[in-house]
Amino acid sequence: MFTSSKSTSKTPSTSTTNFFYTTPPSYELSLEDFESFALSRLIVLRKIEELKVKGLDRNQYNDALKRVVSLQLPSGGSNQSQKSYNEKRDLASHFILRLAYCRTEELRRWLLTQELALFKFRLEDLEKRGGKDMTLFMRSAQISFDKISHDEKNGMQSELRFNMSYRDFEASSFYKIPFAEAVDLIGRRLVHVRGGYAYVPGGKLVSIICARFRSHLSRSLAKASASFSHVSSDTRIGPLLKNMNKQYTGRDFGKQTAVEGDMNASNVDEYAERSMPLCMRQVHDGLKKDHKLKHDGRRQYGLFLKGAGLTMEESLLFFQNEFTKIMSADDFNKNYAYNIRHSYGKEGKRQSYTAFSSTTIIMGPRSNPSEVGSHHGCPFAHSGDSSLAALLGKMGIGGKDKDDIMAHKKNKMYQLACAKHFEVTHPGAAKTEGVDLDGVGNHPNAWFNSSAQYWKQKDGVKKEGGLKGKLTPPKGKVERALVSPNRPGEEKMEINA
Amino acid sequence: MPALTESNAQKRPADVMADVMEKPPPRSSSTPITPSINPYNAPKTKSAVITSSKTQNAVVFTPELLRVYYDRLFPYEMMYDWLSYGVTKDFFCRREWSFTIQPTPEDEIYIRYQSFKDLPEFKSAVIKRQPNKIDIGAVFTHQPKDHNNLSKEVFHTEERELVFDIDLTDYDGVRTCCSGANICNKCWKYMNMAIKVMDEGLKTDFGFNNMVWFYSGRRGVHCWVCDESARTLSNDARAAVATYFELPLENEEKSLDLTSNLHPMLARSLSVLEPMFLSDIVGDNGMGILTNQEQWVKLLKTLPEEARKAGIAAEMDKEWSKRDISPEEKWKMLKGRIEKETKKEGVKKQRKFKGDENERLEMWPIETVFRHTYPRLDINVSKMQNHLLKSPFCVHPKTGRVCIPMDVKKIDSFDPFNVPTLPQIVSELESYAKENGEAKNVPDWQKTSLKESMQFFLKTFLNPMKNEQRKMRMEEKAKEEAFTGDF
Repeated sequence: MFTSSKSTSKTPSTSTTNFFYTTPPSYELSLEDFESFALSRLIVLRKIEELKVKGLDRNQYNDALKRVVSLQLPSGGSNQSQKSYNEKRDLASHFILRLAYCRTEELRRWLLTQELALFKFRLEDLEKRGGKDMTLFMRSAQISFDKISHDEKNGMQSELRFNMSYRDFEASSFYKIPFAEAVDLIGRRLVHVRGGYAYVPGGKLVSIICARFRSHLSRSLAKASASFSHVSSDTRIGPLLKNMNKQYTGRDFGKQTAVEGDMNASNVDEYAERSMPLCMRQVHDGLKKDHKLKHDGRRQYGLFLKGAGLTMEESLLFFQNEFTKIMSADDFNKNYAYNIRHSYGKEGKRQSYTAFSSTTIIMGPRSNPSEVGSHHGCPFAHSGDSSLAALLGKMGIGGKDKDDIMAHKKNKMYQLACAKHFEVTHPGAAKTEGVDLDGVGNHPNAWFNSSAQYWKQKDGVKKEGGLKGKLTPPKGKVERALVSPNRPGEEKMEINA
Repeated sequence: MPALTESNAQKRPADVMADVMEKPPPRSSSTPITPSINPYNAPKTKSAVITSSKTQNAVVFTPELLRVYYDRLFPYEMMYDWLSYGVTKDFFCRREWSFTIQPTPEDEIYIRYQSFKDLPEFKSAVIKRQPNKIDIGAVFTHQPKDHNNLSKEVFHTEERELVFDIDLTDYDGVRTCCSGANICNKCWKYMNMAIKVMDEGLKTDFGFNNMVWFYSGRRGVHCWVCDESARTLSNDARAAVATYFELPLENEEKSLDLTSNLHPMLARSLSVLEPMFLSDIVGDNGMGILTNQEQWVKLLKTLPEEARKAGIAAEMDKEWSKRDISPEEKWKMLKGRIEKETKKEGVKKQRKFKGDENERLEMWPIETVFRHTYPRLDINVSKMQNHLLKSPFCVHPKTGRVCIPMDVKKIDSFDPFNVPTLPQIVSELESYAKENGEAKNVPDWQKTSLKESMQFFLKTFLNPMKNEQRKMRMEEKAKEEAFTGDF
């Protein structure tokens, strides 16, 4: 099935993209393409990260990944120019992200994980297609393995075919690979091992090639990090590279569309109780306690509430109610109302601001718990282990749920911790119809929307059963949300396109 | 000695405290200790007359005895020779050492990231500190004693022997004779089984050559694989090798999920272990799992559902109660009965049970043999380059026994209760002096019963490895000279 590349001197085929990325691109690229190619890939890689947490089965995962890859990084094409454009995009975007993500250990590990998943997905796809594609790919990536002779194969027959049918054994070629390159297969005892070599049947080479890609990319990233400061000093691409990991690729929660529920100044408390991610819950509780918020907290929370559908008038009312417990209405109007109107685009340069994404909050300033009114930031990323554990405990989250969340925090997977928090406070959400979990853990407003959808379904069910849900928005407004023409999913498509 | 001025032994107390770990190392002696002798099996040699833990401490391990050991018997040169691997420059000094010291009987301090630039420095630090226990860590990119001044990006492990740790406490689910830190000659057999399987696997499957096994001093064994290819393995590869050998035996209830197409390594292990299962487990001289009704009923209860349906358990129980049958014979009967049940039979060549049910029954005898004999590794020790492991030739503070190398070829005759103890070898030194005078030209270890162990270590491990290294260096040199034409 696979022949050694040493024996062939044919030129590499162009019909299969070389997604092993051995050589960097050497063509000119407009700055516009530079950015848009990179963003396309970023969308794919972030989708992979998201899909991984969802606990999908293999087929669901592959289908979902296939959808986003064919949209963002398609390969092939109906004509030569489209084909080469796609190839160019794939190659360039990979190397751009390699540069952007080589800076720190954490970024490198993130990129390595997601790129490896993408690589594996494509390689398996290639293998499924059968035919010569795999051979051509291996030739272009200069991958070759030592095939054992027919005699050697028959001599080891009893060991080699321990987990194969006779027919499969007969049809297979076996490759002799240093065991350290076949760790995955050896750890699971899937291949015969003798004298320091793993004897791998052709059908299991995917695992070996993935391992090679991993070490190839890992080495390249380490090497690239040494030259990052040089590359990033370029004024055209420097800022872009430095901010790549903070680029937000999900939905835009600036406009007041596609919002679930009916938030107004009087029911924010109820929403805070059930539908706010921990970062917002923390600011909300802090505000209730101190009747005051520092600038960063007001921005983080105010824009979130705006994104959650609180109108400017209601927002002013809400903050005024709270702040005037320790100051006069006059003081509030003088010192704080302007900022709220500003964030709704009614003052100053009249820009309507969008709510912070999770990345912005995680990368943003930390709060100082000892200071009155300082409650902003991400509790998963910024709080200590013990204070987060205490916070979760206070919310009635304990046992394995708490351990899982804490484990994510300790692994610095803050967004996974946040998604897990959603999962434990919304049991069965993944299987509830009408609940779109897209973006939970990536954006506080996505978290909020999904939660509101969830409770709407749950409360609806309860109501039918004669039990009134704790939080039931007035009827008319629910309908508005239901028939809203701008469903979150649709909006996403528009942005992605 | 000029080396002393720079040695870690000279560190100011504050520096030392910075290196003191909050937590003790894995498997430190902080676990409660009970004396490790089964009165029924203790051979009547003078080294085995150790009874209560209080008197045991007094008898087998004192600071004074330890001082004699570190002054005259600990094989510094061999250790240095071994751990230098023929590299004379800038290598030994990058090895991490850890000492457990006991400044007062109540305190135990664990000091990590010690490193020594050469043999004299190593030797003087050990003699100065008198560690109760010495651990060996990895070779790092820089001298570990400087680790506080280096960032994680720069200071990390570079290489480390591939090590395995097998401990009798992990056999508590199956051994019927002792538990915890206690051992006897019956349960020691588990170590023989483990060593046979692992030694063969590491040599035949992975092609390792330079390996040595050590008695850990109390209730287990350690394996050090020192081939260059093993020392440079990544953590992933280490984990793969360890899980390659691992069976999920820690949970007695959990099925091993074996299938009839057994991996070649497991098939080979089975052929080694089944005879030992018969000779060392089933009978009275072993765990006695087929000796009396109480025991065999326990075993028969582990038969899968299908066996009960076929009435195998009841039938066997009846047969075995009727007359006196040897445990080995019982096992053969049971196996034969299961075989009959799972074979294709009749004209139609049909099986009684469906595929996976049949397989479960068919695999039960193999699973049972593995459950009672297969090595139980502490795989976390093997997985990470920077995991510490107790140094060979240490003296175990609770038993006073020296961690000596074990001859795999003669593993069946290894007796942990015959391993030299600290008081024993110190008194041997004294009697040698009385009989033969000081004899300065004879190395002190040759005057004691450590002689055999040390010679074995040199002859079968250290010297062959050094020869191999020498040969490789000569080949490399020849290649280089051929290349440059410099003859």
